[in-house]
Amino acid sequence: MDTPLRIVIVDDEALARAVVREYAEADTSVEIVADCANGFEAVKAVSELKPDLVLLDVQMPKLDGFEVLELLGRDQHVIFITAYDQYALKAFEVHAVDYLLKPFSADRFQEAIARARERLRAKTLVPVDEVIRAAKPRTGPAGRVLIRDGANVHVLPVDKIDYVEAQDDYVAFKSEGKQYLKDQTLSAVEEALDPARFVRIHRSFILNVDRISKVELYAKDSRMAILRDGTRLPVSRAGYARLSQLL
Amino acid sequence: MHPILARPGRLAAYIAIWVPLGGLLAALLGLQGVLRWMEAVVVAVPLSISYGFLSLSAWYVTGGSPVDRVGPVRVGVTAVVASFLSSAVWLLIARGWMGLVGAVGAWADVPAAFRPAAPTLFGFGFLLYLLAMAVSYLAAAFAVSRDAERKGLELQVLAREAELRALRAQIDPHFLFNSLQSISALTTVDPPAARRMCLLLADFLRETLALGARERIPLSSELTLVRRFLAVEQVRFGHRLVVDIDATGAEVCEVPPLLLQPLVENAVTHGVAHMVDGGTVRIRAERRVASLVVTVDNPCDADRPSGGGTGLGLRNVRARLESAYGSEAFVQAEETGGRFVVRMELPVPAPDQSAGHPGGNGS
Repeated sequence: MDTPLRIVIVDDEALARAVVREYAEADTSVEIVADCANGFEAVKAVSELKPDLVLLDVQMPKLDGFEVLELLGRDQHVIFITAYDQYALKAFEVHAVDYLLKPFSADRFQEAIARARERLRAKTLVPVDEVIRAAKPRTGPAGRVLIRDGANVHVLPVDKIDYVEAQDDYVAFKSEGKQYLKDQTLSAVEEALDPARFVRIHRSFILNVDRISKVELYAKDSRMAILRDGTRLPVSRAGYARLSQLL
Repeated sequence: MHPILARPGRLAAYIAIWVPLGGLLAALLGLQGVLRWMEAVVVAVPLSISYGFLSLSAWYVTGGSPVDRVGPVRVGVTAVVASFLSSAVWLLIARGWMGLVGAVGAWADVPAAFRPAAPTLFGFGFLLYLLAMAVSYLAAAFAVSRDAERKGLELQVLAREAELRALRAQIDPHFLFNSLQSISALTTVDPPAARRMCLLLADFLRETLALGARERIPLSSELTLVRRFLAVEQVRFGHRLVVDIDATGAEVCEVPPLLLQPLVENAVTHGVAHMVDGGTVRIRAERRVASLVVTVDNPCDADRPSGGGTGLGLRNVRARLESAYGSEAFVQAEETGGRFVVRMELPVPAPDQSAGHPGGNGS
């Protein structure tokens, strides 16, 4: 118990934050560095303050707890707080994620903090993608993409995406002449987007089919997709097969 | 199982009926002058009782050709054939019985005297068996109708239970747990408020159960319940939840219980709760000439991720309106200008029929 555990509290309900604050303030080994009423504030606070632990409510407006976790990335330790969510609880159990069920006692809070401290020490990482996939049964293709840019969050509606390009460990979403980097694999992006509108035309590219102007033969077995804005993207043989199936 | 054989008491009563029938047969034999009275009784009563047992088979014969399935011709043919056969069997039994009676010294002439009465016996048996079959058919029809009635009642009870279960399911567990969390927070921050919240929650739950058990309630009661629900949610959401209710002139209209509550709950959990700065849940009820128009509307997040959960509550309300009023009522939901609006219209008696209200009002 040398340095205090620096925590950020995230909940859209003031009373719910008050409970956590009350329990945390009674514990001298914990220091509250921020107290956020929504996901955007949370991403900003975490980026700037780099807390050890985030106490994160699941149900929140605009960005829910899982989306905040997705934006914070796998290095961030969190304790989820929820009132009642069967899918989430199952996901937490399966992936050994710490969570608190509302309402919870001071003892239960202490226990969760102690366990989080253990994990911090052991540097156990949360399997973010798996937890999110298990906790949020997909109801359909994603309608928007969330991208964290330092302390800011961009919410990118999928119809504004021109194409997605794999760049080393990141993927770049190209939209209206701008580029947004996200720590994700191109396969995960492909899985999340609507297959009727987005096609993997190449190992490194996913294209919004609305943006295609024409496809030209470039060399043997190799084609180029020319977008409305003149951008030229390579189309592999398999990619061309997928594309012609859709068009 | 045969309804008469099922219980010993019934069997005894049934056999008791055949004793006077035996007397009747004895009278027939006596009147024909073939036997002396004493002999006629001794011969006829045991024969009658034996035929009583034989006639129990009528239940199975009628069961094998139910009137509603095989048609009248086959029923008639079956009845004649079965009666003929059973009466023939009865004659054989009679012959056996005569053999026994004739073995008694003083009665040695009885079998011979009885022989000319065989056609009478046959006719008697034939008619009795037809009667037994008719009674069987009646008893079966009676059992069927009673069964249908019982099934109807059971169905009603089931429907009622299903409705209650649905109502209970409508109380979102989120609502309960979040309320408890708020109370837990208030106990240190503001103890009187914690107590107020407990009481609000208790009132809300009690009223939900009480109103849910009734067929129709005045709109004013439903709105009281809705106000309590919103008061609980206002403790949780604070200034983010604003409530605006106007039902002037429509409070007396009768509505199915808990019709608005799920819509209002949706308005909070899928509407206001998704707005960072919250918003207003607006409820309007207006009485038209012969209908009640209620709208519930709330702000909604235009770019929320797909797969919100408003569907279930709305479907429930639609189903309940349909079962209560058929095509006379309707619900529609639409999203316009950043607000989600649910509008429903249901029939109510015209104002002049109930209390003589002046028709229509401005707001």
